[in-house]
Amino acid sequence: MSKEHVFEVVKNIIVEVLPDVELDQVSIEKSLKDLGANSIDRMEIVTMSMEELDLKIPLMSFAQVGNIEGMVDVLTDNYVASVESN
Amino acid sequence: MVTTNKVGITGMGIVSSIGNDISTFSNSLRNGTSGIKQAAILKEPKVSVDIAAKIENFSFSDSIDHFQNVSDKKYHLAKRLGRRAPFVIQTSILSALEAWCSARLYDGKILPERIGVIVAGQNSTQNYQYDLISKFKKDPEYLSPRYALEFLETNQVGVLSELFDIKGEGFVVGGASATGNVGVIKGSQLVLSGIVDVCMVVGVAADLSPMDIQGFINIGAMGGKKYINQPEKACRPFDKEHEGFIYGQASACVILESESSAINRGIPFLAEVKGSAFHLDSNSSANPNVDGEARTMLSALSQAGVSVSDVNYINTHGSSSPLGDKTEAEAIQKVFKNHTSNLWLNSTKSLTGHCLYSAGLVELIATVEQMNKGFLHPNKNLEVPICDDLQFCGAEALDYHIDVAMSNSFGFGGINTSVVLKRG
Repeated sequence: MSKEHVFEVVKNIIVEVLPDVELDQVSIEKSLKDLGANSIDRMEIVTMSMEELDLKIPLMSFAQVGNIEGMVDVLTDNYVASVESN
Repeated sequence: MVTTNKVGITGMGIVSSIGNDISTFSNSLRNGTSGIKQAAILKEPKVSVDIAAKIENFSFSDSIDHFQNVSDKKYHLAKRLGRRAPFVIQTSILSALEAWCSARLYDGKILPERIGVIVAGQNSTQNYQYDLISKFKKDPEYLSPRYALEFLETNQVGVLSELFDIKGEGFVVGGASATGNVGVIKGSQLVLSGIVDVCMVVGVAADLSPMDIQGFINIGAMGGKKYINQPEKACRPFDKEHEGFIYGQASACVILESESSAINRGIPFLAEVKGSAFHLDSNSSANPNVDGEARTMLSALSQAGVSVSDVNYINTHGSSSPLGDKTEAEAIQKVFKNHTSNLWLNSTKSLTGHCLYSAGLVELIATVEQMNKGFLHPNKNLEVPICDDLQFCGAEALDYHIDVAMSNSFGFGGINTSVVLKRG
């Protein structure tokens, strides 16, 4: 699973959670806050992304994340780790 | 309560099995269109009664596009708040939007602090939770963080206050099958006491889980067994073959407003809430009580300052429950005595099913529509009345002029409510 694939997954979830946002507005350097997400929207995007990727990561792991890319990185790292351990 | 002001209804909205706006609902009432039918049972385990008046073919996104006079900002906010929300929140948003528009509250003449919101609904997240349980048992980590907001009944207060910029009082009321009337009574009191000028009262659609339905079957309250193959005949208020209530779904909203505020905004009362009463039987069980119901009707008349002979229509609780119908009929005879021959009765539940928490509001709206459009809707399936001395509407609508109406709602736990309306 590449970082690009994880970003694709996250992107689709972002537009599902934020109805005012179009796919082409979601670029990886932006923060979810920039796109109008409140704290619950952000938590929901993380939870739904984990479910879609079949990952279970403590939410604390995302505490330091500043933009979408940071979130995608945490998800990708954990995804790679989970694939390797299987 | 000392007051010189009056309270009335200045806006109404509905999403129901017989119409997703007031005008369609009103036409269905006049035509005697019933929303009761065989309902597809999609969930496990299957319950034995599959007759209901459900809100069907409902799409939040499509419905929200129909509103005019809603600013772009409010439209987007409504979409954002409702698009992914549970069904009951979506229907509340829509009925509230229609009521808000019909009361022309978009004129912005009332300070947000002078507007209140009452959500008349209880246990509204039962089915939502039921659907989540199996997934939750498997992967609790994937539970939506929004759940912590959404399982709270007050979520509706939050959603509606944000959408309509309401900053006065806001809370939830419950009163079993009388919940809608309890909301109207508390809303009227808020307005009459001067705490707010306008109060939005939203009756929440009952989204029952299979467990809730089975509970109603097991306690003997739900009908639908005798007419299992003829669902349109299953709900028969005050008919000898009645056997229990038939479940219905609706969200219904009224805007209550003080007379001075309505005059100030140049908006007429659709009807005046002339008086109301709310009395308990001190009874934890499901059985109704003649004295309690009679006391409540009398008390509502007294609060309204009208006599029994002024009332010429009652929208009965009439749930099609054998004991409930019999008790209400006796209570009406006890209160109205010889005047019953000048008094027409019907039960909106014969068309909408029993909308539980929102029933009081659905029926208040039905009363206002009949009052303002000069008719009485049919009392479907009333073939052999349980008593001869009350005047029930029959299979066809009647042209009729209602001056003063009473709308009754009674609930499990000895909860009795009556609201008296006068033409606006």
